[in-house]
Amino acid sequence: MAHTVLVCDDAIFMRTMISDILVQAGFEVVGEAETGVQAVQKYRELSPDLVTMDIVMPDMGGIEAVREICRVDPDAKILMCSAMGQQALVVEAIQAGAKDFVVKPFQPSRVLEAVQRVLG
Amino acid sequence: MDLARYAALFLDESRSHLRTCTRLLLEWERDPSAAEPVDGLFRAIHTLKGMAATMGYERLAGGAHEVETLLAGVREGAVPRGAALVDALLGAVDLLERGVELAAAGRDADLDAGAIAGLVRRAVPAAAPAGRRRKTRSAAEGPAVAGAVGLVVEVRIRPDAPMRGARALLALRRAEALGEVREVRPPAATFEFDGFGGAFEFRFLGRASEAALTAAIREAGDVETVTVTVPEPAAGRGGTEGRGRHIRVDLARLDSLTGQVAELVVARHRLAELAALAPGGELEGLALRIGRLVTGVQQDVIAARLTPVWQVFDRFPRAVRDLAKQLGKQVDFRVEGEDIELDRAILDEIGDPIVHLLRNALDHGIEAPAERRAAGKPEAGRVVVAASRERASVVVRISDDGRGIDRARVLAKAKTLGVLEAGVEALPDEQLLRVLARAGFSTAERVSAVSGRGVGIDAVVERLRALGGSLEMASERGRGSTFTLRLPLTLAIVRALLARTGAERYAVPLTFVAETVEFDALPRTEVQGREAVLLRGRALPTLHLDRLVGRPAGAVPRRPGIILEVGGRQAALVVDALLGQQEIVVEAFDAPLGTPPFLSGATILPDGAPALILDAAVLV
Repeated sequence: MAHTVLVCDDAIFMRTMISDILVQAGFEVVGEAETGVQAVQKYRELSPDLVTMDIVMPDMGGIEAVREICRVDPDAKILMCSAMGQQALVVEAIQAGAKDFVVKPFQPSRVLEAVQRVLG
Repeated sequence: MDLARYAALFLDESRSHLRTCTRLLLEWERDPSAAEPVDGLFRAIHTLKGMAATMGYERLAGGAHEVETLLAGVREGAVPRGAALVDALLGAVDLLERGVELAAAGRDADLDAGAIAGLVRRAVPAAAPAGRRRKTRSAAEGPAVAGAVGLVVEVRIRPDAPMRGARALLALRRAEALGEVREVRPPAATFEFDGFGGAFEFRFLGRASEAALTAAIREAGDVETVTVTVPEPAAGRGGTEGRGRHIRVDLARLDSLTGQVAELVVARHRLAELAALAPGGELEGLALRIGRLVTGVQQDVIAARLTPVWQVFDRFPRAVRDLAKQLGKQVDFRVEGEDIELDRAILDEIGDPIVHLLRNALDHGIEAPAERRAAGKPEAGRVVVAASRERASVVVRISDDGRGIDRARVLAKAKTLGVLEAGVEALPDEQLLRVLARAGFSTAERVSAVSGRGVGIDAVVERLRALGGSLEMASERGRGSTFTLRLPLTLAIVRALLARTGAERYAVPLTFVAETVEFDALPRTEVQGREAVLLRGRALPTLHLDRLVGRPAGAVPRRPGIILEVGGRQAALVVDALLGQQEIVVEAFDAPLGTPPFLSGATILPDGAPALILDAAVLV
């Protein structure tokens, strides 16, 4: 059975791109979120195998969302999607419970490597 | 590994980081739009947090974390900048400073973490919660268990990998999943900084095999190499580059060394005297050689004691800021010459006297903003502490552009108190200081919480004299005052010129000797009715050593004179004979009552006889 994924990013462009990469690799994107609040809410609803999380989102950022999700489910598998130069935020996200990260601009191979590592 | 060994290092570095914070906060207060202070603050607090966590000081690490979170909020724009924020941060830095001392004293649990959290909460508006983070102290930084050795793991992240620091953290997480990780170097808290190159090492304790550990770490991705070694049990922490270049020495041990070198110096002189009795012999050559070696050791010991003044001066900006706030005054404060070096023992002693003078300057010198405006001055008073080298001494000037000292009032008060005779109508600077330095003398109209009653300059003068230094002052009504502290470079050993009157010998520190002359060959003159000599067209007041020490004048022909110089003023001191230069060891001098003020100490000469040390600052 294909792994389920929740894609969180405030830009449709990024959501689409990540979804495409994952779907082509055989994953099932079960939901999308545009804000941190939505991400937490949808995680509860969908219990996906994997979450991709943008760091900067309106209405509760990605790090805050990671914290919330991990509070609910300490085993949540969250992959951070970050821009260059956000290392401090990525570190904070890892401390908050994120399992791995990819840096934009995305290369499909690197995204999939990271996903594999997270799903272990 | 024994963490206590690192406690002193922790204390030192933490203090330095918090000093940096204070400095940055004061800068920030001046220019709230500046971004750099926030980043610098963040970094300093972040480092403190990492160190505290490594040492196992959980309360302190927690407090630092609160402050760090607040700063993160500021950086992200979630927390408004302004005076209230700076106040809160200064308060938090104070609490952290206290926390550092407590933690180092083994009392981390006494730290009032709630107070820090409270300060932080008040600085953050309700609408923008600072976002309490999950406890970030990782097991990797937990306190060590003594005795265990484990494996030493070196990990290198691929140099072309993005965000090597974040990747390194993931690698560390993988290791932590298998066992206990400690002694992470560089500390995990520093991974996210730009300087982190991607290589780190740590000690691993656990059941996992080397192969399993290596594989797990590689699973973190972008890992170039993992090297696992079993350390020699006694190998300690050696092998890191840069270590061992500096060692910390207990000041008491250095003091003991200095004292012994001082005695060695005296013994060398005696040896030279004995060797001179048998010229040309083997003893003379040996004495010369020992003499050179002792001089070398002495210079090195003095150099080892020298400390840049900023180590003490760094606390002045904060003190001045707080005082100014308390007094409702605006002050533009500057410190100059921070890199000038001074004997640690002297430096430790002058901090309080300088703070005392600064307090006076702010309380009595600098006027309220309205008064300054009315006087045509900028609203912010200017206060400067400047250190500089002059000859063999270090000079520290504390100047303000305030109202200066009201001589008429000092004069009147001095007469009422009977400090001055009724006839005196003018107070030159040096006399003004002498009057002000009378214990308990004060013209302050009110007793302020800041300066207390009176100026208390007597205490400052006493302190400086005990150090072999001096205090001078100059003041101009409406323009401000300047206090000048003159200090020997080092306490223990002073190069001095020995002079004789009758059979008594005296030492004059070379710090104050401009030159020596043949006194009786100089033309005589008078200055303001006082005896003087002309040296290259300049009239110098004359002082007779025999008269000063209450001896009858001897009938010595061709008497030499020592030209004393203190702060640009000169005088000629007439003596019976000069006995050459020598290093002297200044002995603690508990002057009996009635000792003339120009005698500042005593020393033992190589032949075992005592000599008194003349204080040129009082004579000139």
